[in-house]
Amino acid sequence: MWINKLFRKLVFFLTVFFFSSSALWAAPVSVEDRALLTQIQKDTLQYFVHMSDKKTGLTRDSSQPGSPASIAATGFSLAAFAIADSHGWLPDGYAENYVRKTLKALLRQTEHEQGFFFHFIDRQSGKRVWGSEASSIDTALLLAGALLAGRYFPGSDIERMAQQIYNRINWAWMLNGSALVCMGWKPESGFLPYYWDSYNELIILQALAIGASVNPIPPQSWQEWVRWEDEYAGKKIIYSHSGSLFTYQYSQAFIDFRGLNDGGINYFDNSKNATLANLEYSLAFRNQYRGYSENSWGLSASLGPGGYKAYGAKPGEGLQDGTVAPYAAIGSIVFSPEEAIRAIRYFHDNYKDRLYGHFGFKGAFNLDKNWWADQYLGIDQGISFLMLENFLNEGAVWKRFMPLEAVQTWIERTGLAGEIAPVN
Amino acid sequence: MATYRRKHFLINKPLQVRYMAYLTVTLLTISVVSLLSLYFGIWGGVLDAFSDKHIRDEMLIASQLTQYDEARTGASQQGLTSLSMFKQSEKLSQRQREVFKEILDKSNRALFLKLLVLFIFIAWGSIYVSHKIAGPLYRFAATLDAMSQGNLSMRVHLRKTDEGQFLADHFNEALAFLDTTISKLKNIVNEQDKNPARLGERLKAELDKIKTSVDK
Repeated sequence: MWINKLFRKLVFFLTVFFFSSSALWAAPVSVEDRALLTQIQKDTLQYFVHMSDKKTGLTRDSSQPGSPASIAATGFSLAAFAIADSHGWLPDGYAENYVRKTLKALLRQTEHEQGFFFHFIDRQSGKRVWGSEASSIDTALLLAGALLAGRYFPGSDIERMAQQIYNRINWAWMLNGSALVCMGWKPESGFLPYYWDSYNELIILQALAIGASVNPIPPQSWQEWVRWEDEYAGKKIIYSHSGSLFTYQYSQAFIDFRGLNDGGINYFDNSKNATLANLEYSLAFRNQYRGYSENSWGLSASLGPGGYKAYGAKPGEGLQDGTVAPYAAIGSIVFSPEEAIRAIRYFHDNYKDRLYGHFGFKGAFNLDKNWWADQYLGIDQGISFLMLENFLNEGAVWKRFMPLEAVQTWIERTGLAGEIAPVN
Repeated sequence: MATYRRKHFLINKPLQVRYMAYLTVTLLTISVVSLLSLYFGIWGGVLDAFSDKHIRDEMLIASQLTQYDEARTGASQQGLTSLSMFKQSEKLSQRQREVFKEILDKSNRALFLKLLVLFIFIAWGSIYVSHKIAGPLYRFAATLDAMSQGNLSMRVHLRKTDEGQFLADHFNEALAFLDTTISKLKNIVNEQDKNPARLGERLKAELDKIKTSVDK
């Protein structure tokens, strides 16, 4: 039994080593493209620098005046600061102090229920605002950022505090007696009537909940959520309900799925297919909407002329109205680098004046309605920053996140490393 | 048992008016600080939180947060429905309750701090004011102690700002009279060798000036 376990671990580490040490992307990135992508990553970092509270470090949900802090944006912020520190993009000690004070505020000051943070909180006090729910997925994203930050400062109080935040969470409580994780809980009305029941960004939540050393959820929960499968443009895809690109990206900003196999499914390849399907789906409407072209695509939940919507492609709901979110292409850069870089350069070269600002790309645009987002969203900036880091620096985030004990435990408990599927 | 009704409330007008002023000014200060803090704290907060810009921002945020929820639960296909508008107003009203509670909490915290500082000042001031009475009482007690031990040379000396100046003057006059009279008696006794036959007569003459309870 133990030999079997040891063998599986060995296979996993060899796979990780293989993927980490080899060049990640088939085609080399030109010097100009690398310079542009690095500049975008640096500019995107400025969102977190300017939109995080100076005392608590909690990060605003968006640049819209009056926007509350979002716990998910704060998670991305922790990751971004730790990464920026590794590149020396901030003055000495600045990022480390930021990460430390934020973790302190999260541990001591920020309101939570059974360890789950509220979705929206007051930046200065850390108290719940807007009647928001204690959110399971947003807590998972915060935690992923905190644990990743801990890996950038090994052996420090930062790593310890991140672990304390993790150990405080009662994952089993969020099951509410079911086999699936509930979306959230409100003090006024109890558990929300929604559960994470099908493929989407839930994987990072499932991974951290199953891999937890304190109050984990049973590994059987991994098999409980639905993997809907359908085909679009000749590509078989395990798809999310909305078909939004971000659902294929969030978990994989942290988790390297290239060496993992979920009963024949490789989620890295799946996201690659979903990205290409997203591009194809946009192109299918290119005669109706001026915003879609081979260089201009990206259907994902974003602001639009009619407000924030879960834009997406087929398979899935496939809601679209000509609105394109640049972060969707940036977040796809590890899955389909050529298409993503083409789009990023196109957005940058053609729409820089209206779409690009001090904090990188703004939310979205819609050429047909001559609508341009005037704000940045924290989570959009976060996924852009992390995916650029993985792409530009040989999977730097994955290399640090994958060896986490929680991730290893999750892989072991769900048997994901059993058979390694070939990766293109 | 006879009841004694006060006929005159202002027996020592300057003293009583002064203490009336002390109390009134103290209470007035506390009331003014409390009222102004609450008024400007609440009103200022309300003016800021419910300004046109703020309301517009809050409405946009309410709308955006509702759309987030709808996107997450798969309801964003439906566009702006009455349910969505209801949810937005619900969020907005919840937010306004939070904002108002925040304003009240902030005002109360600020008021508490101001009152704390004020109470420290009042406590310090009351030591100063009470010292104007406690000081003289201490002087009187010390002088009376000395008298009971036969020392009549002591006098009550008060500070300019102490209460009971008039009493001290009267007390010192009485003490001086006693001191002088007894000094004279002592002198008469000390000089008895010069004229012993007149000792009794001279003592009687001096003692006759003093009225005591044995005199009829």
